[in-house]
Amino acid sequence: MAAKVLMALFDHVDPVAEVLDELRRQGIDDHDMTVISGVPYPARVLGRPMVWERLPWIALSGAFVGFLIGLFLNAGTPLLYPIRVGGQPLIPIPPSAVITYEFTMMGLIVSTFLGVLWESTFPSFGPKYYHPESINGRIGMLIRCPEEQLPEIQEMLRAHGARDVFEPEEWTL
Amino acid sequence: MSSDRGHEQELAHLERELKARDLLLDRRSREEMNYEVMHAMERISLGWLLAAFVLGGLVFLGLGLAWAYQIKWGLGVAGINRPVFWGVYIANFVFWIGISHSGTFVSAILRVFKAEFRRPITRASEMMTTFALIVAGMYPLIHLGRTWRFYWMVPYPNQRQLWPNFHSPLMWDMMAIFTYLIGSTLYLYLPLIPDMAMARDRTTGWRYRLYRLLALGWRGTEAEWQHLKTAITIFAFAIIPVMFSVHTIVSWDFGMTMKVGWHSSIFGPYFVTGAIFSGVSAVATVLLVVRRTMKLDYFLRAEHFDSIGKLILIFSFAWTYFFFADYLTEWYGGEAVGKELLTLQARGPVAPLWYIMLATNILIPWLTLWNRKVRRSFWGLMLVTLGVNVGMYIERYIIVTGFLTRNRLPFDWGVYNPSPVEILISIGSLSTFIFLYAVVSRVIPLVPIWEVREGQIAHSLRRIGRALVPTVTELE
Repeated sequence: MAAKVLMALFDHVDPVAEVLDELRRQGIDDHDMTVISGVPYPARVLGRPMVWERLPWIALSGAFVGFLIGLFLNAGTPLLYPIRVGGQPLIPIPPSAVITYEFTMMGLIVSTFLGVLWESTFPSFGPKYYHPESINGRIGMLIRCPEEQLPEIQEMLRAHGARDVFEPEEWTL
Repeated sequence: MSSDRGHEQELAHLERELKARDLLLDRRSREEMNYEVMHAMERISLGWLLAAFVLGGLVFLGLGLAWAYQIKWGLGVAGINRPVFWGVYIANFVFWIGISHSGTFVSAILRVFKAEFRRPITRASEMMTTFALIVAGMYPLIHLGRTWRFYWMVPYPNQRQLWPNFHSPLMWDMMAIFTYLIGSTLYLYLPLIPDMAMARDRTTGWRYRLYRLLALGWRGTEAEWQHLKTAITIFAFAIIPVMFSVHTIVSWDFGMTMKVGWHSSIFGPYFVTGAIFSGVSAVATVLLVVRRTMKLDYFLRAEHFDSIGKLILIFSFAWTYFFFADYLTEWYGGEAVGKELLTLQARGPVAPLWYIMLATNILIPWLTLWNRKVRRSFWGLMLVTLGVNVGMYIERYIIVTGFLTRNRLPFDWGVYNPSPVEILISIGSLSTFIFLYAVVSRVIPLVPIWEVREGQIAHSLRRIGRALVPTVTELE
């Protein structure tokens, strides 16, 4: 049986959390339900399972790469062309710490930004299910469900106070 | 019975009063909030156009003509000469780096500590950071004289396979500013994405095309919000040490020399405190102007200026502490050149400036900012915060140009007066900052609406006993 996509718009977050529970009871998987809102609602507010976030690891990896680049510039480049000045060490540790630190932070910052783009698959302007009302104060809910469950789910959504229930269009964002 | 009714009426009155005072309790529909911010952004008055025209002219005069003149004729057209080789350009550089601390402090530190009053003011201050850094970043190029030689500092080996010296404070400076500029620009952009999507859905023409591009296809799904919130948290924690490092490294440009008055281990925290002091003061000045010119009274309220005023007072105390610690150490040391520097400030040619600095950075804030009425008054806070930045500029001017006029060899003492070229370039850079701010404030939403709404969801009024009190719910 073909799957259909439904969108419901709610005025408040409480019925959204109830609807999510109800849909789970009706056999809809968490992956087939998406809440769209203009404000971040933490997973526990919506009663959603916690998703392991990879972003901190991406950030840490970037920081490590930055650290290595900093280390190379401080310790590697003087060895490529050694010039001893006034009996000073070729690779002095305290001054080396500064650039190494800056590159570590640069790596952390840039990789965090790239990580967000990667994890959210941005930029992505292609056609996607969306409704502008969902970032204009309402809370949108996208549900992918088997066609035969459609009437039952529509009724349940309305019973929970959905303002609008409809088959959404794909928008080019 | 009638006393109960009276109490209920009193509570209703109190509720209205609390809502009028506190933005996070005074909910409006999201539609209304979006409209207010978009309308403020799209409204371009004749006064704004006139101001933009004048500022554009000053930018052209300062950076287009005066800088070009200096590039053509060399650094000799500036007032710097033996023994003062660092003039007003370096003072300006330090000053603008200081202003750039505004955004990070107001946004990142207050975010980490969950100070709720930050919500409507974060973006306006983050924008200041980015533009102040752009202006600050120009000064090493201007001061270089032969600006086209800048690439010598870029980390790659020259034709003799010799790399730049990464152990030099000047190299630290460039890397720190570059890291801070990238970090603060991305930190400005990330929380902007949801508001760009809001703007995308409400505009047409060139604005639509711009917002669409910058919104990256944002829809506001749970996953998008989760990644964004995690990234903002990482950024908030990462940008704070970078901010501290930037001004510390700027102070090390001075501290690493053997120059009396500069070679001080206290310069790092002293400079950082001064930077936050002037940065937060500049935030107050800019927000006062933004509130009045863009009519953002709903978002920017007396409570916000009240809180910023308290911060400025605290930083005035902290700056005074470092200033006095530095002064006393020099005074007690009794070294001849050090004493001469102190005399220069108290009775020498820079004395009038020095006393103005003491008045605007210590006396006036201490005498006024303890007063709630001053912190909440437009002109009161405007004059104090402008004064603080005049004082902080003077502080940098004296440290850079004043201290260089005295050294260990009295035959090599001198005087320094900025030349017209230096003055024009300084005016041009100030105009660049204001011009960029004025233009971009008409292009990107100046208030992070989603952050304000998030705060409003978490705030409510709760009745405890017979009192009605504002409460905050920890949603995270």
